[in-house]
Amino acid sequence: MRRRRATAGAAVLALVAALAVVAAAYATPDRAAAPTATSGSGAALIKCGKTRTIGFMAPVTGPAASIGIQQVHWAQYYVSTYNKTHKTKFKLQTEDTQLGAPTGTAEALKGAQALAGSSNVLGVVGPAGSNEIVGVTKSLMDGGLAWVSGSSTRTSLTTDGTRTGYMFRTVPPDAIQGPTAANFILKKLKYTRVYIIDDQETYSTGLADAVQQVLKAAGATVNRDGVSQQQSDFSSLIAKIPRDTQIVYIPWQLPPKGQAFGNQMKAAGKGTIKLMGADGLYDSSFASVGAHVYDTNFPLNPKSKIIAGFKKGHGGDGEYFGAPTYAATQVVGNAIDRACAKGSTTRAAVRAAIRSTKIPAAQSLIGVAIRFNRNGDLSTLHKFGLYKSNGTVFVPIAG
Amino acid sequence: MNWSLFFDLTVSGLTLGSLYALIALGYSLVYGILKLLNFAHGDVYMIGAFLGWYALHALGGPVNPTFTGAVVLFLMFVVAMLGCGVLGVAIERFAYRPLRNAPRIAPLISALGVSIFLQNSALLIFGAAFRDYDTFDLIGVKTYNIGQLFFSVPQLLTVVAAIGLMVALTLFVARSRLGKAMRSTSFDREAASMMGIDVDRVISVTFFIGSALAGAAGVMFALVFGQIYHFMGFIAGLKGFTAAVLGGIGSIPGAMVGGLIVGLAESYATGYLPQGSTFQNLYVFALLILVILIRPSGLFGKAAISKV
Repeated sequence: MRRRRATAGAAVLALVAALAVVAAAYATPDRAAAPTATSGSGAALIKCGKTRTIGFMAPVTGPAASIGIQQVHWAQYYVSTYNKTHKTKFKLQTEDTQLGAPTGTAEALKGAQALAGSSNVLGVVGPAGSNEIVGVTKSLMDGGLAWVSGSSTRTSLTTDGTRTGYMFRTVPPDAIQGPTAANFILKKLKYTRVYIIDDQETYSTGLADAVQQVLKAAGATVNRDGVSQQQSDFSSLIAKIPRDTQIVYIPWQLPPKGQAFGNQMKAAGKGTIKLMGADGLYDSSFASVGAHVYDTNFPLNPKSKIIAGFKKGHGGDGEYFGAPTYAATQVVGNAIDRACAKGSTTRAAVRAAIRSTKIPAAQSLIGVAIRFNRNGDLSTLHKFGLYKSNGTVFVPIAG
Repeated sequence: MNWSLFFDLTVSGLTLGSLYALIALGYSLVYGILKLLNFAHGDVYMIGAFLGWYALHALGGPVNPTFTGAVVLFLMFVVAMLGCGVLGVAIERFAYRPLRNAPRIAPLISALGVSIFLQNSALLIFGAAFRDYDTFDLIGVKTYNIGQLFFSVPQLLTVVAAIGLMVALTLFVARSRLGKAMRSTSFDREAASMMGIDVDRVISVTFFIGSALAGAAGVMFALVFGQIYHFMGFIAGLKGFTAAVLGGIGSIPGAMVGGLIVGLAESYATGYLPQGSTFQNLYVFALLILVILIRPSGLFGKAAISKV
């Protein structure tokens, strides 16, 4: 009997442990403690030298590696093209944040502490996830480091005042993208029966909330659901979508998942229902689902030589999700160059230089000049582009 | 009652359940022989999916295959099952056999290490990008129906192939000489060895079979759901483990039934419970906890008897 109880106890313990692992894997810890106001000034003088170091945080491994690697490629592309044309050089000190893994935010925190403690690091590119930003804020601020993210879109990150002067981003917040998508659905497509499915990540839930809010306020019938980013089987979820639904909005981060969802919709006989993604799905793999697919994306400059050069070096693949990380690296690199004009600098000077960034539209792949407002958001980008698939790729359409 | 939704969920649940059952069999076989929880098993399943993808593309790809679709599919399964079988044997030989007489926690930690090693090796070798099986190009997108019961060819193929493999395994274990040796080793490894059974060989065969089934499950998963990536084995492995425990770890019929229960529970939870798709894993694991509390040895497991 005792043995039986012990076995039961051990099994329950094992299960609880397994549940904890699963819960951690899916967690998006948005409730991390806010940093205190006692942040490092970053006033220590640092000799710039010929080779300057940029801290780089991205999910290089783990469940989100497929998008992290895009950011790695774009950051490396900036560094390699810069190094070919300048006497001074940049190198990246990369910290793997393992976004979405059981130890994800803890890894990001370790990475931030490593960068803050590394005296050569002058500024940081990343991290990728909004939840990670919350987790690393205190460490980076204590180290006096500024950071520029190319993918975190939660609106409150820059508006709550916690990170002012330290955090910047080269993607517009959900507060802009959400209404753009919702108004397109309501006013252009004139649809009133909408099914919204987030992928349970902070990026996705924030955007889904923003769209849902506008649609509901306008009186549309909105069904809301969620599915894990690590899920590939959508058949049960698709079975729940009413056949009279006009459009399914999926602001997900992984284009192949959007593609799989679209294909499984077709397999379930629901291929006539329109699909709409967000910037995370702006990719030919999602567009290939069919001509009934829409998307929103930051306005990449289609004539940009930077994008053409990147695609040439990556087998024709644009890896567009990572493109704003190029802009983020460009911002940090540009700021370090200016701050290092006299051969030495401080992290505080780099922060100030990032804040006063002025990259003209001609040198920017996001289609507009790069300048930041007081909060750290782009002051030059107030709307998102709208796109429709032609069956193969997305083409711009009027909003 | 929305019968259309019910049938859709049932088909989806049976498909998923068949995959979980195949994975669970690997856990159960190994646990039955070695009393080891092989946590690397989910990653072997992931490797199987990748081997199937490489086989598909070596045979001309989904759009212009060298042979007919059926032959290509067969060869994909053969490559994935053989490759995973060999991988399983190698894992046992290098990661578990040296620890066979160590405390039980040692091979468990080794298994976790192998799991992480396989995940990151796959990331390094195959890359971080998702791979697409393009099943629609290979098999076609056509959906069949019997009344309100809709199913696709990959779904049907998965359920039929999984049942076939499970029946073959049951017959093999029950009737073959090697199966008898497996049962003997499972019952008492020392006594089996004294009776002349080559225990090392039996264990290697067990790993080969369990891993080959995981390889087949990997290909089936990719055919039904379309895409594979290096981290796909993590949650599938946990679900397979859940199925094995629920059915009674060590029991072959238990693994099959456990897999189907987990698959159906997941599917019905998604369809019928509040925020089902968001919390489907919560519901599945809650069911497992419930079963374990009521019947600690699982549905088909036998309670351990100890002399006092």
